[in-house]
Amino acid sequence: MENIIEIEHLNKSFGEVKAVQNLSFHVKEGELFAFLGVNGAGKSTTIHIMCGQLAKDSGSVTIDGCDLDHNVDHIKGELGVVFQNSLLDNALSVYDNLESRAALYGIFGSTFKERLAELAKLLDFEDLLKRPVGKLSGGQRRRIDIARALLHSPKILILDEPTTGLDPQTRKILWNVISDLRENKNLTVFLTTHYMEEAAEADYVVILDSGKISAKGTPLELKNAYTGDFITLYNVSEEDVKSLAIDYTPIRDAFRLFVPNTAKATELILAHPEVFRDFEITKGKMDDVFLAATGKNLTGGMEK
Amino acid sequence: MSTCKALIKRNTKLFFRDKGMFFTSLITPAILLVLYATFLGKVYHDSFAYSLPETLHVSENLIDGCVGSQLISSILAVSCVTVAFCSNMLMVQDRANGSIKDLRIAPVKAYALALSYYTASLISTLIICLTAGGICLAYVAAVGWFMSAADVLLLLLDIILLTLFGTALSSIIHFFLSSQGQISAVGTIVSAGYGFICGAYMPISQFSESVQRVICFLPGTYGTSLIRNHAMRGAFAEMIDQGIPEEVVESIKDSIDCNLYFFDHKVDLPIMYLILGGTITVLITVYILMNKYRKTSSHA
Repeated sequence: MENIIEIEHLNKSFGEVKAVQNLSFHVKEGELFAFLGVNGAGKSTTIHIMCGQLAKDSGSVTIDGCDLDHNVDHIKGELGVVFQNSLLDNALSVYDNLESRAALYGIFGSTFKERLAELAKLLDFEDLLKRPVGKLSGGQRRRIDIARALLHSPKILILDEPTTGLDPQTRKILWNVISDLRENKNLTVFLTTHYMEEAAEADYVVILDSGKISAKGTPLELKNAYTGDFITLYNVSEEDVKSLAIDYTPIRDAFRLFVPNTAKATELILAHPEVFRDFEITKGKMDDVFLAATGKNLTGGMEK
Repeated sequence: MSTCKALIKRNTKLFFRDKGMFFTSLITPAILLVLYATFLGKVYHDSFAYSLPETLHVSENLIDGCVGSQLISSILAVSCVTVAFCSNMLMVQDRANGSIKDLRIAPVKAYALALSYYTASLISTLIICLTAGGICLAYVAAVGWFMSAADVLLLLLDIILLTLFGTALSSIIHFFLSSQGQISAVGTIVSAGYGFICGAYMPISQFSESVQRVICFLPGTYGTSLIRNHAMRGAFAEMIDQGIPEEVVESIKDSIDCNLYFFDHKVDLPIMYLILGGTITVLITVYILMNKYRKTSSHA
């Protein structure tokens, strides 16, 4: 797979505040890329620069083989963006909104109607076309936002906290659509999210803290590097667990043991087969990775 | 061009869907007409009657028609600009609510966006000002009608030109604004001040000489004079028919700015059209260039 986004030594300051500092990362074509960080970490600044909405101080941004400084219009044509907050016109109907946005990409008349029909079917909003956007529920509006971002069949879909505040069912629908597009259209997805279970599904993750990369890798690499494994042990007494001489936490009907890695877990199990009769091993979670990498918890965007 | 057309459609729809925006714009000329007719009509009438030599007899109907035409010329001259400032809000609203980001995220040319805001605002302002023009003509018909069909057509042309001017001026000023509060402040200042500096509320001839010289450099002044000339031409012709000497009519024209002087040189109507047309062209060009060379924002 080729790199579809290449960012090298990107810097951006607002007065004294260094929003993005020497940021470098690549996104491969067709992958789901997750960009994590608390509010103010520099995620939105980076996205705004990538979209040509914000001038960078230094560094280079190459998207779909084009330098942002020289071919911003081509780049804009290959990006679809779902913003944190819907930016559609509340007073206009879904149809009017999408018609005016499609025109920005040179999509008119029958071509627009065909594309609209495709997207309405895909995102299940055929019955909402005449409704004013301002009267839609959060989930319905999000579907329209995604349709707007996909109108021109972009190669890259940027999702800036797309599922914040949505009910689980709508989140599931959205992720099904995105998975389908990735599978069938090789769509690259650039995601920022506060939901760690979404980040765990990503092909590659970059964790940003105070404008700098604090960790990057696949979820597995990050889990291996920043967290250990957990063994959940059932049907044993606390004395048996104590005899293992490792950290543990009693949970409702079991004990949770922390081990540095899978090899150590295997070693422990083989050394104490009489204790490990009923157990399961799990990797650390992305929340643990985030906490270990930044020293902060990521809960709904709030630093804790 | 199709993109621009689609954006004009969007902007115009948004203007008319926002009932507050539409009625605020529409109410300006309506209030002015009511205020003028109620409080100033009699003052203008008496002042006009006293200014005529006692030896001359002019019919009441002619005086009423003349005063009515002067009133509506003032209202229309002010409305074309103040309504433009009221209706040309979408550009700033899009900036305030973030919708502009959703438009600029696409590879749309800056001039297309700028022209779409300008044209949509022009359409809505024209609809309101031409409606106001119709109401004003009905008022003149009720008090004393002396206009020819050519006068009416030229008056409509003047309204269109002044609307083009007002919309271009408001587009340039609104380019620098980013909130609803700023628009309101600018709208208030323009509504309060423009009528004075364009010679609508008070004839320029009543200002001091130095102020008159400054005002002669403002293109809006010539727009007011054009409207006034075409609204009152029939009444002046009737005065001459009723035996009032041409010198007296000319002095009346001087006193109410139908005759404008640029450093003692009388400015003819074709020159007024040239000044107004040239100003419109320059303002629209400046507005488009400002948008074209707008720097990418330095703030997220």
